[in-house]
Amino acid sequence: MAEGPTHDGKRLDPMEPWRAARDLYMDAWGKTMVDMVNSEAYAQATGAMLDSYMTVSAPFREAVEKAMLKTLEQMAMPSRADVLSIAERLTNIEMRLDDLDATLGDIQRLLVKVGTAPRPQAGKAQPSKKKTTRPQRAKRGKK
Amino acid sequence: MAEATATTDPVIAAVDRLQTLHNAITTKAAIAQTPKELVWTLNKAKLYRYVPVLPKEKRHPIPLLLVFALMNRPYILDLRRGHSFVEYMLNKGYDLYLLDWGVPGPEDKNLKFDDYTLDYMPRAIRKLKAISGVEEFSLLGWCIGAILTTIYAALRGDEGLRNLILLTAPLDFSNKQGLTFARWTDERYFDVDKVLATFGNMPGEMIDYGAKALKPVENYIGNYVKLWDNIDDPRMVEGWHAMNTWVTDNVPLAGGVFRQLIVDLYRKDKLMRGELMIRGERVDMSRIHANLLTVIAEGDHITPSCQSEPIMSKVSSVDKELFRVRGGHIGIMAGSGASKYTWPHIDGWLASRSR
Repeated sequence: MAEGPTHDGKRLDPMEPWRAARDLYMDAWGKTMVDMVNSEAYAQATGAMLDSYMTVSAPFREAVEKAMLKTLEQMAMPSRADVLSIAERLTNIEMRLDDLDATLGDIQRLLVKVGTAPRPQAGKAQPSKKKTTRPQRAKRGKK
Repeated sequence: MAEATATTDPVIAAVDRLQTLHNAITTKAAIAQTPKELVWTLNKAKLYRYVPVLPKEKRHPIPLLLVFALMNRPYILDLRRGHSFVEYMLNKGYDLYLLDWGVPGPEDKNLKFDDYTLDYMPRAIRKLKAISGVEEFSLLGWCIGAILTTIYAALRGDEGLRNLILLTAPLDFSNKQGLTFARWTDERYFDVDKVLATFGNMPGEMIDYGAKALKPVENYIGNYVKLWDNIDDPRMVEGWHAMNTWVTDNVPLAGGVFRQLIVDLYRKDKLMRGELMIRGERVDMSRIHANLLTVIAEGDHITPSCQSEPIMSKVSSVDKELFRVRGGHIGIMAGSGASKYTWPHIDGWLASRSR
């Protein structure tokens, strides 16, 4: 967009005055709009628009929902509410599993800690970290 | 992306510029490029651990968990290579985790602050502790994420929270005249129950409209004018493209949280008044003892400073700091000045408290 050079080495942009005027205008416009959206009248108007949209669309939405529910019932298929309920239950199960996972992790860490602690029998070689796992302890218990 | 090339033919140059403009507006930029691994999930929430770039002996021992807002994508923290808070903090030696809330579905419409702060966050933090092998951690909450981290800090702060960083935190809603959102969602004009009965969750598009309508000319026109004015600057176009990718990637807000946000916070200011109840527990900010850094954006039109400042006098933290930085709600962390001002300050503050 820049064209020929000026005396100070910068390029002369014929659009620059237009851009400056545009920015000035947009600044003024922007401030006016900010004042407008901050007004009670704007809040009231947008609230009314949203409310009328919801009021007008509600009967159609309800009709579609009822029709869909009936169709699904006739086809012996689960409704949207059934699926959502299952999703909620799955999240609860996920939480229980997460708690179990954490508890198992705690137990594992405790076992490793106990396994690597110095043993009372002197003279015997200390087992390495890797060997002091739960299966080995179980083996000793069986003997 | 096609960039405008230096050509003497004005027609070709104009076509190139239009092509660049079209691509920047209509395509998605490559964002969130920092390598990370998924370490935990619950419902839609995911906990990521960023792959450390420094050896363990050079890293800070206290891990940092990033918690972003519920209704925007968290990759604003890792926007693009060479300009990413995540990348910056990894290079500074932090063990970094990100809690991504995901996209709530219709089945999540009843999720509340209660669920996020007492079911999701404690479990994610438990996992973080198990992986990092330390009992203490730092939390960084931004925007609605700062509300979540504040509630968590007040209710479960004694479970290892050492440092709390709040970015543009909307916590005080007492100044109704200064909050445009408070005016729009006033009970005389806005029927929150009817909205949620209609939509279930608050649609991302409506939240996006609300955020943009605060400065309509700037967001709907000025933003594109700025792109056109700088269309020959590939670095500027790249930054604009990444930001536009993030801005247009909207996430709905769970209905239960939206109701609490409007009724309990915007209308009744329950958090700051100490009346907010989370599963029967009162959120008392005087129970926050962690070291606290509150970052305020001086040009923030979404969360004005009057919403973030008052927490400083409410907490019991001995070590607390209020840091003001020039910029807007998002700009302070993702704008061109972020890497010069906000990020170094956060690192400087946190590094000395992460030993």
